[in-house]
Amino acid sequence: MSDAAFWILQLLNALQYSMLLFLLSIGLTVIFGLLHFMNLAHGALYMMGAYIGISITSATGSFWAAFFLAPLAVTAIGAVLYFTLIRRLRNAGPMNQVLVTFGLIFVFLDIVRLGWGDIALGLDAPTALQGTTKFLSVSYPTYRFFIIGLGLVVMATLMTIVSRTQIGAMIRASVENDDMAAAMGINVGRLFFAVFCVGCALAGLAGVVAAPVFSATTGMGISILIPTLIVVVIGGLGSLQGAVVGSLIVGSIETIGAAVLPGVASILIYVLLAVILVVRPAGLIPARV
Amino acid sequence: MLELKNIESGYGETRVIHGLDLTVEAGSVHALLGRNGVGKSTTLKTIIGQLSLTAGQIRFDGTDTSDLNPYDIARLGVAYVPETRDIFGALSVRENLELAGRLAPAEGASWDVDRVLDFFPNLADRMSNGGHELSGGEQQMLAIGRALMMEPRILLLDEPTEGLAPIIIQQIFTKLNQLKTEGMTILLVEQNFNFAAGLADMISLVGRGQIVWQGTADALKTDTEAHEKWLGV
Repeated sequence: MSDAAFWILQLLNALQYSMLLFLLSIGLTVIFGLLHFMNLAHGALYMMGAYIGISITSATGSFWAAFFLAPLAVTAIGAVLYFTLIRRLRNAGPMNQVLVTFGLIFVFLDIVRLGWGDIALGLDAPTALQGTTKFLSVSYPTYRFFIIGLGLVVMATLMTIVSRTQIGAMIRASVENDDMAAAMGINVGRLFFAVFCVGCALAGLAGVVAAPVFSATTGMGISILIPTLIVVVIGGLGSLQGAVVGSLIVGSIETIGAAVLPGVASILIYVLLAVILVVRPAGLIPARV
Repeated sequence: MLELKNIESGYGETRVIHGLDLTVEAGSVHALLGRNGVGKSTTLKTIIGQLSLTAGQIRFDGTDTSDLNPYDIARLGVAYVPETRDIFGALSVRENLELAGRLAPAEGASWDVDRVLDFFPNLADRMSNGGHELSGGEQQMLAIGRALMMEPRILLLDEPTEGLAPIIIQQIFTKLNQLKTEGMTILLVEQNFNFAAGLADMISLVGRGQIVWQGTADALKTDTEAHEKWLGV
């Protein structure tokens, strides 16, 4: 393989992984930014998205049914969590939130074990997206291009909503100062719940689109949680642009690091995390100006 | 128009307001004066629902707002300009204004962005600037402009002169006086006695979480004892 082809391939892999991280980190970061809530169970919602997607596909025979319904199902799970636990824990302090949502990870782990078993489950990419597509002399799986495209579309949509619409202005205002936002007539609680639901839906979406690439395993929620948390911290808690930049950085370092410096790749993102925490503790693009 | 009956409130376990009674008449400017820490700002935060009542009742235009959420109180037409101004730094000046105007009726609104810019021409050049790029005076003008965009029936102003240069204070005074002439109801918290005395129809002195003296600015000027006791340093 030529040098150029190698790098193009690595970049595409990095981009595809970054998009999955983005779909996950966006939910985590807005939930933290708006609700001041650290939801460690966010990775579990991603896992539920994958498993529910696999079941919907096998029941209906259609990946696209899963693509649309699995995020809805995950949103419903998120809404139950919101009303039973998260809303009550809002003022309980970060340590209680982390303990409860850490516990939830194991609850979901066992739910998956009971419902789907311990074996990795695969999911076929939809027929239209099977095979490879040539890009700059590199053949690359069409389905992975689809993930990259989907990530870019979600990114552009969210950016537009947040920076150009009134709902977006309401969200930015509420993240910055929820008391003042409420004093201007914004029902901050309802706004936060809506945003929380969008975050859950995107975690479910990430799960169902990841399943054809990585297979669904009981450990997938935990293994994605660490890089997602690092994205959120590097980018800046509560910051959409931060999630974009953080995903691209972490996705690139993990993917390209593994190809170029396999020995130290696994510690590179932690080094980066440590450096950012020292130099810019609020993250690269903090939500609060 | 606004009636506080024997209210008690504070922060967590710490009670700051101990049975405060206050009535603000429609169309009047009412100033709350007093030393630091006697509960003036706390009173405003309780009116807007940011702090909850532990006793007493608040009525606004006949509606009992004691148990309402802050956003419901805001929608009744209670607009609040905090001491810290609390301009949204992540939003442009225009977005700050439009966000506040979002609940105003589309037809027949008396304030829109253009009128706010007529009122505070300094803001006109800053419309696309981020809220965090404004000077203190511009922030105060935007904070008041934002409150006006809410089509307020009462304006609650917490120390609008704090930290501002005398020339800006003079500008703010002129503008508030103009609002007063137009019949706006204002509840003003101030440390600057002359500023408050120049605007207010009625002055209430606050001491230890209660109203301890009430009267006109002229009456307060001649009542040296009250002046010494509740305002002197």
